[in-house]
Amino acid sequence: MSAPAIDARGVDKYFGRFQALDKLDLTVRTGQVAGFLGPNGSGKSTTIRVLLGLLRADSGSVRLLGGDPWKEAVSLHRRLAYVPGDVSLWSNLTGGQAIDLMGRLRGGLDTRRKKAFLERFELDPTKKARTYSKGNRQKVALVAALASDAELLILDEPTSGLDPLMEAVFTECVREIKEEGRTVLLSSHILSEVEKLCDTVTIIRQGRTVESGTLDDLRHLTRSSVHAEVEHDPAPLAALPGVHDPEIDGHRISFSVDHAQMGAVLSQVTSLGVRSLVSNPPSLEELFMRHYGDELAALNGGTEGGERA
Amino acid sequence: MSAFTGAGTLSRFVLRRDRIRLSVWTLALAGTTAAVVPVLDDMFSTEEERQGRAALMDTPTGIVFGGPGYGLDDYTLGPMMVNEMTMTLLIAMAVMSILHVVRHTRAEEESGRAELLRANVLGSGAPMAAALMTIALVNLVIGGVIALALIGFDLAVADSLAYGLGLALAGITFGAIAAVCAQVSEHGRSTSGLAFLAVGVLFMLRVVGDMAESGGNLLSWFSPFAWVQQAQPYHDLSWAPLALYGLVIVALVITAHLLSGRRDLGAGLVAARPGPAGAGRLLRGVTTLQLNQQRGSIIAWTLAVLLFAVSFGTLATEVEGMFETNPDLEAVFGTDVDDVIGGFLSFVTSYVIMGAAAFGALSVLRMRAEESSGRTELVLSAAVGRVALFGSALAVAAVSTLFVVVAGGLGLGLGAAAVLEDGAWVGRLLQAVLAQLPAAMVFGALAALVLGAAPRLTGLLWLWLGYSILATVMGGLLEFPDWAMNLSAFELLPRLPVEDFEPLPYVLYSGAVLLAGALSLVGFRNRDLATA
Repeated sequence: MSAPAIDARGVDKYFGRFQALDKLDLTVRTGQVAGFLGPNGSGKSTTIRVLLGLLRADSGSVRLLGGDPWKEAVSLHRRLAYVPGDVSLWSNLTGGQAIDLMGRLRGGLDTRRKKAFLERFELDPTKKARTYSKGNRQKVALVAALASDAELLILDEPTSGLDPLMEAVFTECVREIKEEGRTVLLSSHILSEVEKLCDTVTIIRQGRTVESGTLDDLRHLTRSSVHAEVEHDPAPLAALPGVHDPEIDGHRISFSVDHAQMGAVLSQVTSLGVRSLVSNPPSLEELFMRHYGDELAALNGGTEGGERA
Repeated sequence: MSAFTGAGTLSRFVLRRDRIRLSVWTLALAGTTAAVVPVLDDMFSTEEERQGRAALMDTPTGIVFGGPGYGLDDYTLGPMMVNEMTMTLLIAMAVMSILHVVRHTRAEEESGRAELLRANVLGSGAPMAAALMTIALVNLVIGGVIALALIGFDLAVADSLAYGLGLALAGITFGAIAAVCAQVSEHGRSTSGLAFLAVGVLFMLRVVGDMAESGGNLLSWFSPFAWVQQAQPYHDLSWAPLALYGLVIVALVITAHLLSGRRDLGAGLVAARPGPAGAGRLLRGVTTLQLNQQRGSIIAWTLAVLLFAVSFGTLATEVEGMFETNPDLEAVFGTDVDDVIGGFLSFVTSYVIMGAAAFGALSVLRMRAEESSGRTELVLSAAVGRVALFGSALAVAAVSTLFVVVAGGLGLGLGAAAVLEDGAWVGRLLQAVLAQLPAAMVFGALAALVLGAAPRLTGLLWLWLGYSILATVMGGLLEFPDWAMNLSAFELLPRLPVEDFEPLPYVLYSGAVLLAGALSLVGFRNRDLATA
């Protein structure tokens, strides 16, 4: 198998005394769509800037498309396209001019693809950039990236300004990119988007990788949530093995349950006389919450307690 | 809710945000004035010295940077103060007021912060009102402190108050001019450009008027630069000219308010038109991108310097005329009229160089805004090397600085050649400005060094530029010692055509500029990109 498209190991990055990245690991295999998740300020954009050679890692190793992103930035950048989280354009240029300029700076642009993506994203390329909304500026950067023939697309929260219709178009486009065998790194905190698109997920928190693997791998690590209303007192359920965070309100109970114990717990619920039962499969959101909610807060002790609520 | 709801709160916020900036301006202007008075008193202590100085103020250079020349016949401390300091103070107050008003009106709208504020309980006219009220306050404080200082030095109370008030009102007028400009243009940068252009034209009106006739002719009266001195403090005080400031300020503020009512937040009076759907052939690399971005400002600066230079060049004939009618000047300058004209014009070249230096520094510092906005990140994420990007920015800044310098030399030369009917002046003045070229480039190079290696040291750059301008403009008057003059970047090379060209300092100076540029490239190559 060829070298991974992105391979960062043990990356540290300090800004003054503030440690932005702390032994961060991130691997994306060629041809994969990789989700890169983390709350605001967790170091997603810093990681991306290290990958782009805009920041220099203080320690650790970073390989991008088989090269050193700091030393070989120019040649590597011919092979990748980047969409920043907050796109700032040249206010006196039109969107179309900016797209062409970006393409030319990268070393060429397929005008047919540009036209096709402009139509799909319903972007008017004749408007001056200063009249564009955040979403439209993002579309400019997206069209420039998607219309390129880059092997690797690095997208930093690319849909944060898009409306739901455009998000759907974006999802579609990324699927096509994947079918073409290209690699995508998609940083996001929109979990449904990552769930829909990504083969693998890396979750970071405070500059550290806390979880990474395929979505199925990660699902095994988590629990489903159950909300039930029963005829008898639901209290005994709380004591069952595998049941977590029970909340009882009269005849109603909510809890989360380990997948291994799901069968046993449900039969107990049934035996209490079910009036209603809702069970949600573990969503990425719960995965996410698990890492930013109780587990890590507990791991980090009281010092992080302030961030929990 | 009125259009001005919230203006008071916003004013306090403006003062809070700019407390350091405004304090520095106030201290610098009021402090310099208070420091200059005893210096003047000391330096020209005898009647003879004072009248010798007065004769100097009656020369073209004296009129340009002094004024219409009231009170020269009895040149005591009061008239001396008014003649020596007024123009410098007014120019500085104009710069302060314009930058302040633009910063708190158009620049806020451009950044989107105004939108955040206007979504609250804030009237549509409140930001402009707050900007104008705060700049009025600062100008009044400066004028007040100056008046108090003058009274403190035993000058007439009424005259001192009138002078201080006149200065303050002039400053407010310049702020109001900026408020009107802020309605017309969509960008903070072009707003200040427009306002500075207007102020430059008003300055020239006064210069031309004052040159034509002692005490100024009608043309002078069209300029707010004139009215402080037309009130004739310490000579024949009349408060009436100061009322002109009141009228003009009211008219300007009403105009600005009406214009702002006709447009949307963030928009200019002229709506943005659609542009091409794709980039033209030219826009294909970082250099053409830089040129595209700076085109407007390069053209504006070149034209402004050209106009300034041509108008000063044509003043050469006035010099000649004065020389013929006033035999006393021969005693001061010697007998050769060409030397006198050359001396005047070489003095003006240093203003061309100062302008070009400020332009060069601003052009390079654009890279910082590009970087913090994230556009540099976007460009570098494509196949563009850092040295190529930063180098092209420096090259564009250097070449356009050269443009501005040549425009200045050409303008002076053409103006002088036309009125003196002697084409040789064109070559002489081109040589004169080119002999100062390293001084025009040095602040751009320093800005590059700061950006490349130590972005936090930008303040130092402005400090040195400010000091250099002060030393070059005021150093002679304040009798700076040689070492203090030599700290000015504009005093290191000989001024042609009066002095002779010296190759060694020129080569060394150019080498230092190139070295700073090269080091900045190395710095930018090796540092982290800073994105907000």
